[in-house]
Amino acid sequence: MLEIGGLSKRFGPVQALDGVTFSVRPGEVFGFVGSNGAGKTTTMRIVLGVLSADAGEVRWQGRPVDADLRRRIGYMPEERGLYPKMKVGDQLRYLAQLHGLPAAEAQSAVERWTERLGVSGRLGDEVQKLSLGNQQRVQLSAALVHDPEVLVLDEPFSGLDPTAVEVMSSVLRDKAGTGVPVIFSSHQLELVERLCDRIGIISAGRMVATGSVEELRARDGRVVLDVEGPPPGWADGLAGVEVLDAPGPATRLRLHPDTDDQQVLAAAVAAGPVHEFRRWRPPLTELYRDVVESSVPTAVPA
Amino acid sequence: MSAPLTASQAVALVARREFVTQVKSRSFVIGIVFTLVIFAVVAGVVVFISSQTEEHTLGITPSASGLQPTLEQLAAQQDVTLRVVDVDEDAGRAQVAGDELDALLSGGTAGYQLLYRDAVDSSLTPVVAAAAQQAALSTALTDAGVDPATVAASAQVDPTTIEPVDPERGQQLAVALGGTFLLFMGLQYAAGVAGGVVEEKQSRVVELLLATIKPWHLLTGKVIGIGAAGLLTMVILGAIAGGIGAAAGLLTLPTAAVGMLVMVLVWYLIGFFLFAAVYAALGSTVSRQEELQPLIAPMVFLVIIPFILTLNLLPSDPRNPILAVLSYVPFLSQTVMPARYALGVAPLWEVALSALIAVAAIAVVVRVAARIYRNSILRTGARVSLREALRSR
Repeated sequence: MLEIGGLSKRFGPVQALDGVTFSVRPGEVFGFVGSNGAGKTTTMRIVLGVLSADAGEVRWQGRPVDADLRRRIGYMPEERGLYPKMKVGDQLRYLAQLHGLPAAEAQSAVERWTERLGVSGRLGDEVQKLSLGNQQRVQLSAALVHDPEVLVLDEPFSGLDPTAVEVMSSVLRDKAGTGVPVIFSSHQLELVERLCDRIGIISAGRMVATGSVEELRARDGRVVLDVEGPPPGWADGLAGVEVLDAPGPATRLRLHPDTDDQQVLAAAVAAGPVHEFRRWRPPLTELYRDVVESSVPTAVPA
Repeated sequence: MSAPLTASQAVALVARREFVTQVKSRSFVIGIVFTLVIFAVVAGVVVFISSQTEEHTLGITPSASGLQPTLEQLAAQQDVTLRVVDVDEDAGRAQVAGDELDALLSGGTAGYQLLYRDAVDSSLTPVVAAAAQQAALSTALTDAGVDPATVAASAQVDPTTIEPVDPERGQQLAVALGGTFLLFMGLQYAAGVAGGVVEEKQSRVVELLLATIKPWHLLTGKVIGIGAAGLLTMVILGAIAGGIGAAAGLLTLPTAAVGMLVMVLVWYLIGFFLFAAVYAALGSTVSRQEELQPLIAPMVFLVIIPFILTLNLLPSDPRNPILAVLSYVPFLSQTVMPARYALGVAPLWEVALSALIAVAAIAVVVRVAARIYRNSILRTGARVSLREALRSR
């Protein structure tokens, strides 16, 4: 288990991280989401030891992460990091060796991962000659060549075409399948929802929610229903119910915690024929918005 | 399965990458070829100038021709090559104007005129003046009944030296200047450390590297790798220049040349470590190559100034006191001291003392530079001030 415990970091007047705590289990894909400047990159850099925390610690399998453990982490920095004028093959081999792989193993690992990521034909080219998408594939190869025990990827999907997104997704799932905890940050929430076992939402340096999408939905405790059939406005004034805006013909209702959904159904049937009466499962984009909005104290009185 | 790297393995991996990158780069070969071309041009100019025996052609009118034997005798004594041509006054004037004659001597025992085209020759004039004076004196002495030869004998001056005149001075000078030039070329590589540090910072690859190795592994490997590339350049250049010199018969002191090459390589290492440490520290404080140039400009002067002083002062005055002092000052000594040694004015103990001072300076400079590097290398964005870099942990 990779445990991030109580990380705090201050840059001058800015409290970048404020007690960030979460954990990622082996074999789990963990999506790290939050707006720009919320603290995702800072957290990841602290995990890699590239930055030191003011407080808190990172543990892997119960041990504090030290230089020897860090060597076994695969890392993809936010601002891509490769020598622009070095050839892809030389570069990946070099990075694998710096992580402790003997030369022969480094060579076969480079061949294996560039093959898998579809850049094996570019081994002899300088990195700067590659398209951005291919540079990113090389960058992911760099994070994988030393067969890491933990993967930490800062925005691995940004700027990728759909094919590359598929390749990258399947690689991450496969790595997780071998028992590796995978953390990645992204702004593509549909992708995060589809790919991740668990999600952490960070806002202004604090973790505001952690859990599977289901758990994030259940967090609110209130039920939202989509009812299709009765004429518009049928639910206005119904007790214990809040009418929400919804796309399409359905009426979207949020039930107060003690409202009986059977009574709502009865009211709907009374208003007209009911074609559909179902629980609405908000996508991550909506959950994210709600969580972030509710976490930021809105100091603006209307 | 991967095993943890030892510090020396990490340093060796980094050093090998730096060395291979340098040696494979186009600028490495271009640098060597370019330097050889400069060597060849300088050598060619020197050979050309020294082959130009300065021959003076002097026209003499019949009225002044009595001076000719004295003139030729004095010219021979003073190492001035003189060819005397008999002309009449008008033809002589025309030939001076047409550059066929360097000067025209006319007049007679009542006074001579020496005519040039547009500039007075400072080596010919005194010869002619002395000849005229001697002729006048001889006449006067003979008239007074004194033998001019007696007077000449008692006015004889014989220059001698306490130590024997070194017949190899020219050789020593060539070796000294060649070595100084090699050192200058080699030290250019130190600036490559600054460029390399900024490249890693700008491309952010440093983040990837420092997630697996320590800053001092990276810095040490880089300095060793680039330093080795500079060393290889100097050995190649030294061997080529020495080989050509020996083949052409210009270099007849092979032991002195080899001794100087060893001296140059040792001083190169001392100078390189000093400069590389400072360059690395400076490089680590900026995030982009464009910010680097103004920062390292003063360092370039630090390399060039002792080079120029050595080149200008030492050949004519090997015991120059300013250079003697500078040859003990770290950052300057690596350029000045080897040249003084090659000219035979600094014994080995002086060289060793100066080297000791420089090594002590390295110990201090490397410590400070490593601290600045460690504190700045991961800080991107605005330039890190040196005070800030020194203060933070």
